[in-house]
Amino acid sequence: MFMDVFCDIEFNIQLKKETFCNYSLKIDDKEISLSFPQLLQLRNKINEYTLSENLEHIIANENFVLLFVADKKHLLFLEIPKLLDLKDEIAVCFL
Amino acid sequence: MKTAIRRQMTIHPEVMDVLNEQIALEMHASASYLAMASWCDQRELLNSKAFFYKQSEEERGHAMKIFDFINEAGGAAISPEVHNITNEFEGLREIYEKSLDQEIHVTQSIYKCFKKARSVDDFASEVFLQWFVSEQVEEEDSVRSILDVFDLMGDMPLKMIDERLPTE
Ligand SMILES: [Fe+2]
Ligand SMILES: [Fe+2]
Repeated sequence: MFMDVFCDIEFNIQLKKETFCNYSLKIDDKEISLSFPQLLQLRNKINEYTLSENLEHIIANENFVLLFVADKKHLLFLEIPKLLDLKDEIAVCFL
Repeated sequence: MKTAIRRQMTIHPEVMDVLNEQIALEMHASASYLAMASWCDQRELLNSKAFFYKQSEEERGHAMKIFDFINEAGGAAISPEVHNITNEFEGLREIYEKSLDQEIHVTQSIYKCFKKARSVDDFASEVFLQWFVSEQVEEEDSVRSILDVFDLMGDMPLKMIDERLPTE
């Protein structure tokens, strides 16, 4: 039972380095290719959204964010848990 | 930094983040000095107006120096939003006191960047920041010496005080 719940909230987000300056982000059923500047841009946006005061604002309002990535080539729909997951995944890449 | 990111950028990501905050602070200081310059300009306080216009330019120069450094190091410099600029002041002395407080705040923030660079062994950024550390000593000093004049001249009319302020 507990495992079921856990599986439900597990989002399949994966950030991988493909070549010297290309990264790929797997999220939901999408696979998005990111250049390094696009990755930095994404990191910056996600870090901003997840500042505690901004998170509170999101939770109090729409409870999700719509986020353009890869120079506006893709649009992501991120609910709070997914947003936090993505933040972690990016943070690990920048450790 | 042991990851692949190190091959893309020489600056440590956490140092990049605090330096981006520093850019925002310098640009805020620049805009704030511009408001002070305008106040003085409208009242024909010639020395003060020149001082604050120059300060405003200098702060933008500081921001640009950091901006270039981040991008040069393979990072992403961010053009900041600037808000909460006061355009209303009670008097000239208050303006100089505000600008001293602002400089002290900037100094603290530079120290924060410096400490961050040191704590993550980002030596290139540490060396880069050394210039800012000494620059802040000068900046604080120049405002302090102006405030000294105010103390000496007491209740004299603003224009007379302004005429006696040290000019560079
Ligand atoms: Fe400055
Ligand atoms: Fe300054």
